[in-house]
Amino acid sequence: MTRLTCPFCGPRELCEFEFHKTVPAPGSVDEYARTYLRVADAHLSIEHWQHVGGCRAWLQVQRNPSTGAVLAIDMLAGEPR
Amino acid sequence: MSAAPGFARRYSAWSLLRARFAGPGYWRPLWSGRRLQPAYDVVIVGAGGHGLATAFHLARDHGIRRIAVLEKRLVGYGNVGRNTTIVRSNYLLPENHYFYEDSLRRWETLSRDLNYNVMYSPRGVVDLALTDDAMPALARRGNAMRLAGIDAELLDLAALERFAPELAPRRKRRFPLAGALLQRRGGTVRHDAVAWGYARAASALGVDIIEDCEVTGVSATGNAADGVETTRGHVKAGRIVFATAGHTGLVGAMLGTPLPIETHLLQAMVSEPIKPLVNSVFVYVSPGHGETYICQSDRGGLVMGGHLDGFPSYTREGTWHRLEDVVQGALELFPCIGGVKILRQWAGTNDMTMDGSPIMDRLRHDNVFVNAGWCYGGFKAIPASGAAFARFVATGTAPDLIRAYRLSRFATGHMLDEPGYGPFPVRL
Repeated sequence: MTRLTCPFCGPRELCEFEFHKTVPAPGSVDEYARTYLRVADAHLSIEHWQHVGGCRAWLQVQRNPSTGAVLAIDMLAGEPR
Repeated sequence: MSAAPGFARRYSAWSLLRARFAGPGYWRPLWSGRRLQPAYDVVIVGAGGHGLATAFHLARDHGIRRIAVLEKRLVGYGNVGRNTTIVRSNYLLPENHYFYEDSLRRWETLSRDLNYNVMYSPRGVVDLALTDDAMPALARRGNAMRLAGIDAELLDLAALERFAPELAPRRKRRFPLAGALLQRRGGTVRHDAVAWGYARAASALGVDIIEDCEVTGVSATGNAADGVETTRGHVKAGRIVFATAGHTGLVGAMLGTPLPIETHLLQAMVSEPIKPLVNSVFVYVSPGHGETYICQSDRGGLVMGGHLDGFPSYTREGTWHRLEDVVQGALELFPCIGGVKILRQWAGTNDMTMDGSPIMDRLRHDNVFVNAGWCYGGFKAIPASGAAFARFVATGTAPDLIRAYRLSRFATGHMLDEPGYGPFPVRL
């Protein structure tokens, strides 16, 4: 993985982006699980990133962590947590 | 340790001398290619440093005879062969520095204990500070260590110049140095020798090391696990130990227990061999980019590493921009290496926990144990982890040394937040 395609700026070098965290499991309601526990899936990781070296938009990125392939990248709806 | 007959020979000056005249065929494989048995007292998943050390101590200290270490790929394929070989115990928090000091003391005698030369080299670990404001933080860490009886010295520029003249600390540079924290007993250990030495010693005590055997599931009756499913069929087990660094999150998923772990990549690289230049381990965090630690291997290669790549991955392929960061830091420290070529670059998968400290506990079942979450400190922890975890697995009671590493600390608020930035595995 060497690049990400920002929905606003287009393809940019990976070093412009900053990973924030992986998204909590859907349905994890209590604060402990949301804060500390992570969904481990070898083929799908849903993450919050920020385009800090560009438009500074918050992004939701879906990647395959076993291959590095980016599956989807969208503007993040709502506040990052 | 007594070697099993016909297998691993006891090494000594005498055995070397005999090898000289015995001709080919004298040297035997370090560990035996035993067959997988249908049942064991303890099955350890993962033949890395922690798994093999746990097996060795279970066999030597606790007399458990039927032990298997199952490995998906090869002995030492994972992080025990991918790290930058640094050992140290310069931690701030008491739970961590007592543990890592226990480990460092074991490194000092490990070659004798295993009858295998792991090349422990106490060449000193030097944490460099760039500003006067950074010195009190180093002093605080050094004082915490000294209160625990661990060696630490705060070096001003003159002392740093005496200890490490190759660094030319007073040289005019973009980011001038201010001083350093030195741990003299810290240094390097030959990482492959650690995997091989533990594998050989465990095998000589009757441990079955089975390579190319992936564990795909855990079978259970009621509350207790009774075995593991593998690519070579079902294996019965009285107790199961997971020492699967970098993939423990997936083990949690396999058991239906989400863990406070993310898997991140840490990369390292080695240059072509050059004449002796770097006499200690230098750790350097520069304001422009990330972190660089650099030391020189016995063969002459400059071994360098830095910060995590910064996002979850199992690919073992480091990113280019992090490689650039690491090299940039190395060049700031030693401008003379500008013409030296990088020979190899690689990455390992790290279990990053939400407080930067490891997890040694039971997982889901009473007889399933997990030794995980070593972040980027797994290699230096191997001897202490093996001894303490073997005692935990054998007796069912965690020794005091590792009691703070229980999994429930995240729920009860007893985190060991050594890096000090809250519930995130990485902050760049």
